[in-house]
Amino acid sequence: MRLLFRIRSFQTHIALAFVAVILLTILIMGVTSYYLSRESVQSNAQSYTAEIVKQVNKNINSYVNGMTYMSDLVANNRTVVEYLSSSSFSSLAEEKKQKETITDFLESMLVSRTDIASVNIIGNGDKLLTGRQDLDWNPYVDLRAMKWYTDAIAAHGENVISSSHVQPIFKDRYPWVVSLSRELIGRDGQSLGVFLVDLNFSVMNDILKDIKLGHRGYVFIVDQNGRLVYHPQQQLIYSNLKSEMIGKVLEAKNGTFTSNEGGDSRMYTVQDSDFGWKIVGVSYVNELAQNQENLKLGFLALALMCIVLAAMIAIYLTQRVSRPIRQLERHMKEVERGNFDIHVQVPRTIEIGRLARAFNLMVGKIKELMNQIILDQEQKRQSEINALQAQINPHFLYNTLDSIVWMAESNKNREVIAMTSALAKLFRASISKGEELVPVKNEIEHITNYLRIQQMRYSDKLDYSIDIGDSAQHFYTIKVILQPIVENAIYHGIKKKKGMGFITITSEETENDLMLVVEDNGIGMDEETVRTLLLPTAIRKEGRGVGVRNVHERLQLYFGLQYGLSYSSRPGAGTKVTITLPKTSNPLEQGE
Amino acid sequence: MIASRLRTILGAVAAVIALVLLGQYLIGKLAKPERIDIQVIIKSTDKNIEFWQVMKDGIEVATNEFGPSVEVTGSRSDADIDGQIALVEQAIEKKPDAIILAANDINRLVPAVEEGAKRGIRFFIVDSGINSDIAESVIATDNIKAGQAAGMEMLRHLDGPGKIAIINYVQTAASLIDRERGVRLMLEGRKDIELMDTFNAAGSETNAYQMAKQVLEDNPDVRGIIGLNEPTTVGAARAIKEMGRQGQVKLIGFDSSVNEIKLLEEEAMQATVIQKPFQMGYLSIKTAVEAFQDKKVPKVIDTGSLVITKQNMYDEENQKLLFPFYDK
Repeated sequence: MRLLFRIRSFQTHIALAFVAVILLTILIMGVTSYYLSRESVQSNAQSYTAEIVKQVNKNINSYVNGMTYMSDLVANNRTVVEYLSSSSFSSLAEEKKQKETITDFLESMLVSRTDIASVNIIGNGDKLLTGRQDLDWNPYVDLRAMKWYTDAIAAHGENVISSSHVQPIFKDRYPWVVSLSRELIGRDGQSLGVFLVDLNFSVMNDILKDIKLGHRGYVFIVDQNGRLVYHPQQQLIYSNLKSEMIGKVLEAKNGTFTSNEGGDSRMYTVQDSDFGWKIVGVSYVNELAQNQENLKLGFLALALMCIVLAAMIAIYLTQRVSRPIRQLERHMKEVERGNFDIHVQVPRTIEIGRLARAFNLMVGKIKELMNQIILDQEQKRQSEINALQAQINPHFLYNTLDSIVWMAESNKNREVIAMTSALAKLFRASISKGEELVPVKNEIEHITNYLRIQQMRYSDKLDYSIDIGDSAQHFYTIKVILQPIVENAIYHGIKKKKGMGFITITSEETENDLMLVVEDNGIGMDEETVRTLLLPTAIRKEGRGVGVRNVHERLQLYFGLQYGLSYSSRPGAGTKVTITLPKTSNPLEQGE
Repeated sequence: MIASRLRTILGAVAAVIALVLLGQYLIGKLAKPERIDIQVIIKSTDKNIEFWQVMKDGIEVATNEFGPSVEVTGSRSDADIDGQIALVEQAIEKKPDAIILAANDINRLVPAVEEGAKRGIRFFIVDSGINSDIAESVIATDNIKAGQAAGMEMLRHLDGPGKIAIINYVQTAASLIDRERGVRLMLEGRKDIELMDTFNAAGSETNAYQMAKQVLEDNPDVRGIIGLNEPTTVGAARAIKEMGRQGQVKLIGFDSSVNEIKLLEEEAMQATVIQKPFQMGYLSIKTAVEAFQDKKVPKVIDTGSLVITKQNMYDEENQKLLFPFYDK
């Protein structure tokens, strides 16, 4: 469950998106570059092999060309032809002299040519000449039975290149050579013998043995008859441990073909030399594939590394991004639990910073409002206590009771009953089951009883009329709002006036509001008094009108600042007090 | 704050480096599978003894082809038994996967080999073996067959009845013991052939020469000599030539050398039976590698032998056997 939560977290989402994008990029780039490099590896290998085979061919050709050049020199040498043609010489010395000239000529060809093993002329009879004066002929070898000799005779003056072979013509010498032999032909077309030049095969071996095509690939040479001139695994082939596709190589012109040997398939690159040999480069197909395998593994490992790296970076970055969010979340939880005394540090990220700032503002506002509510509640409580105090004004009670005593002494029983009953009703109306909001009807009953008592006390000075419309009767109001106003009107307006005082209470209605208007014809007030009447206690001069201000504050607390009292008065012209209330028909909708 | 940031950066850098190293290691590991480590101990590393040089060539070709890691060592000569025992012990210390051995002595190398086998090293025998069953495979000339071929060649050249002598080199070498047995298998029990007791040249060409001379002087009716290896053959040939009896006394030898080639050309020797050291070297490595690939390898691999005469010595496929090196 916790894991699921983690998976669905903001950070995981961002990190996954991040990794997915990188993965995709790496995948596309990896696959593309893999195929590109595979292609290039393959074509590189092919062109590399072709290039090597070409180079080998060039080298070998240059050696053979050197031998061909020698054979041309000898075949067209007049002294040689004359010596070989003549069957008799004028003297032994003459013969010896000619022989020496030719031998010197052959020897001069060998000078500074370490690649050439020997240059020889095998003439008819005992006319054997060699450039290698230091060597003796091998008496056990029949020169004219040797392959290079018979081949040369068969070719009638053409150059014949042998395969590589052991040349045993000299005593104690068995070098590997490649022989070029050529029949020497006299002016009349008769055979004069054979010219033989032997190339040390080791020079070719030196070129070929170190060539490696890949790990196992190699170069081999085959002559036109299919005999191996050079093969690094010659012995294995002769003993059938290995096979080489010589037939197919002989058929092939320059170019490439691949043998079909399953896992050991070989790619043959064939190059024709000018004189019938074929130089063949062999590379193993699975080695190319091995390279591809390595390439693939390399790319895979690289991609893996990149992904791990990307994941690490993603986790790090998303952690950085989501840290302030989670911090905010933690603080919100704190607020949920009711702690408003917190302040979120504003992070540097712009969006999150704004969020944090807004959060801080919000928490501040909530805290302020809550304090406001607490304050309001306290004020209400205070006002209610004040109202209660106003209800049971001890002076009023004392005076009223005093009046009742006085009337009783004068045997005014009817009046005593009326006053006492009014007092009782007054108190009943003001108690009203302890509810704050009461119907206007109750309030009117309350004030009626109050006025009735006051009228009895000041029978010659006070009269009143109450005229509240029926529609106004069942709206609700907070209780005891009229009594302090009326009390004010009597004590401060009418009592100080000569003659009859009159109080009217009427109602007016607008669409939303209900107005109760209390008017008297007392002494009135100057503007200054009117202005300061409803100001908080501290600003006012004296304790007059505590009750009135209390009414005003209670109304505002209950219904809002647009409600409350408004006075209009002029000295000597009476006072008009308008109480403005919202039209409240259900007490449950309003207040606490 | 700065310190922690620094630490984060350092940590990240370290992680990246570690990752790169790990990656490289993995690539290296995947690209290059573990190579089998093989120690080859041959009888002699003397550059002048072609047989072992050719075998080394075969080993090299196989190494390139099959990819193990191979080190070749050898005693000074094939008579240096103590030296070879020391080499085997040294090779064991290197903890190779396998040892390929061409034993100088059939018995004395057994304890060292057994010690190596006890430590988990796998043994293969090339050319000549030991009196033990430890080797997984023996790659060698079937010397009994080679001896029979020599006997057969002797019969062919004699073309009639005759008395024949055999000259041995050392009596404790497995290959020579088998050759003698092969010769005797072919020639013994024929009513027109009289086979003399084997002469022992005790590891010296001069001894072989003197013995052959003695035999020919004491027994003018000897018509054939078989030398069981190169020095005995060359020694016997010297004796025959000295007494001017080449052609009359038929000589059949073993192995090849320039001296023997000359003897063939002079017809002082009628035939020599040669082995194929290149094949031995090549097949010994191939077999060992295959054994490590859990393939079933034959207990004995005969690399074959070949009868060389004056007539076929320059044949294309024989030249490379008789003259293995291009640059000599």
